[in-house]
Amino acid sequence: MIRRPEIGSFIVMIVIILALALASDGKAFNALGLKNNIAIIAQYGIIATGAALLMIAGEFDLSIGSMIGFAGMSMAMMLKWGLPFGFGEATPFLAFLITLAMTLSIGWVIGTVVVRSGLSSFIVTLAFLFFMRGVTEVAFRLINQSTQISGLPDYKQESWVADILGGQVFGWFYDLWFMLGGNLNRRGEQWVEGFDARFLWWLIIAGAAWFILSRTQLGNWIYATGDNKEAARANGVPVNAVKVGLFMFTAFCATMFAACQVFDTNTSDAAKGNLMELFAIAIAVVGGTLMTGGFGSVLGVIFGAITVGLVSNAVFFIPEIDGAWFRVFLGAILLAAVFANERIRKRITGGI
Amino acid sequence: MAEPYLRVENLTKRFGPFTALGGVDLEVYPGEVHALLGDNGAGKSTLIKTLAGVHQPSSGQIYIEGKPVNFRSPRDASAAGIGTVYQDLALNQLMSVTRNFFMGRELKGPLGTMRMDEMNQIAHDEMLKIGIDFSDPTQAVGTMSGGQRQTLAIARAIHFGAKVLILDEPTSALGQKQQMGVLKTIKRVRARGDIAIIFITHNEIHSRLVGDRFTFLALGKVIGSGTASEISDHEMRRLMSGGAEMGDLKQELAEI
Repeated sequence: MIRRPEIGSFIVMIVIILALALASDGKAFNALGLKNNIAIIAQYGIIATGAALLMIAGEFDLSIGSMIGFAGMSMAMMLKWGLPFGFGEATPFLAFLITLAMTLSIGWVIGTVVVRSGLSSFIVTLAFLFFMRGVTEVAFRLINQSTQISGLPDYKQESWVADILGGQVFGWFYDLWFMLGGNLNRRGEQWVEGFDARFLWWLIIAGAAWFILSRTQLGNWIYATGDNKEAARANGVPVNAVKVGLFMFTAFCATMFAACQVFDTNTSDAAKGNLMELFAIAIAVVGGTLMTGGFGSVLGVIFGAITVGLVSNAVFFIPEIDGAWFRVFLGAILLAAVFANERIRKRITGGI
Repeated sequence: MAEPYLRVENLTKRFGPFTALGGVDLEVYPGEVHALLGDNGAGKSTLIKTLAGVHQPSSGQIYIEGKPVNFRSPRDASAAGIGTVYQDLALNQLMSVTRNFFMGRELKGPLGTMRMDEMNQIAHDEMLKIGIDFSDPTQAVGTMSGGQRQTLAIARAIHFGAKVLILDEPTSALGQKQQMGVLKTIKRVRARGDIAIIFITHNEIHSRLVGDRFTFLALGKVIGSGTASEISDHEMRRLMSGGAEMGDLKQELAEI
């Protein structure tokens, strides 16, 4: 038990859940509170999973936030102005697919630059942070004359793709809650219909990442790559392919984040996803991922996402507190997590 | 005597104008420990890297079971049964013993999953065969002693088909007690009878304790070789100091 890297983040999560439940008088976990909390937790969880896997392999991706902005812009733009090069109207499916193809290619380019040049991924992805955000804004102004798109039609009725990305899921959970006598609005009708679809996507992404990391050959390669890449290479692990693949995975996570947002709200904005790369990294660290690579767990990242998500939302349930306390808390818990992780690392490596 | 598993004939390796190996001959027999001795810069590292496929020889020929071979990469060498255990051991400290043992060569089940129970069992059994009973192979390598890590790296090389085991100064970074542990491991591998061991060391006592055959290198050349009974302790000391006579060295020091 004590050897498990997620134990610290688990304890912190339990403390936060209890504290928030008490301070909000239970409102944080009533039918609507739960839905809203899960919505933000899932957002954080999706990108933190990508960031954590990449960190375990020994690299950073600071371009996640800009990738979210770019992907959102790309999808909304195609929906509003049609496919590029005059190929006509874009369906939600095509907009999503073309965007994903672009972001995966950009992820491949970032990864290839990092492994070929041997430069620090910090600096390469910092460059892409600025580059992608700039491209997003420029594209918005050139084509749309404004850096935001709002009032897109609601595609969720006619397109199943839009519905599984931006609609509602697990309606049975709230139906059951209603049947058991809860989940009632003031008129005594059923209050909440379901969770946001991003909850399902978070579960899928985190579940797949957990399976891959802890059970498969690829997972062993990810750990080996981040721990000591020369040792991994000497034993035949395709270190570069693993890294490039994981840069593509973070791009995928950023795209899913953006897609859920666009099809949920039917809007897009050039500033979307700002600072999200730093939240993703912070959550990965709070979840027990080592900054130096080679160690971490998806379960810990899930706990970290729940913790950070709940605290960022706390202001809505406890109106007396200033929302900026969230960042104070995040800074403090991040520092504590780094020290805790370092202690774990020292214990495992015999104090070196 | 049986045929040597590995034979090296007149091997040279030049890096630009610098000659690292100037015509080395070597014969390594299964079930024997061949101690390779020499000072820093004698060419030991270049020789083993050439045998391990990291470097390609400038001239000369390597034979495996009498057949000439050319190694273009470490993969070729390892496929031909040459297992090299380098000083850094190529281990990952944060990962478990089993995950290290099978790193890059995991046993796969459906969907790319690892057959973890089977892998734990094999890692445990292979290490037990050469002398350590490491009861929990899910433990991180970082918690092992230096001698245990050496055993893990050796067990791994043998399990994945090494017929020639090259040990690069396996005792040099260890304490006295752990050095004996590694020597015991070497003896156990030797006792299997089917594996040839090349034991690189600075330490004449260690080489005397386990060596069956000796080759001394100095400045890229073989300056002496023979079986354990052919080489006297006096001769050994002379060759260890690069071929100089003890008397000469004494005089050299006396002149200061």
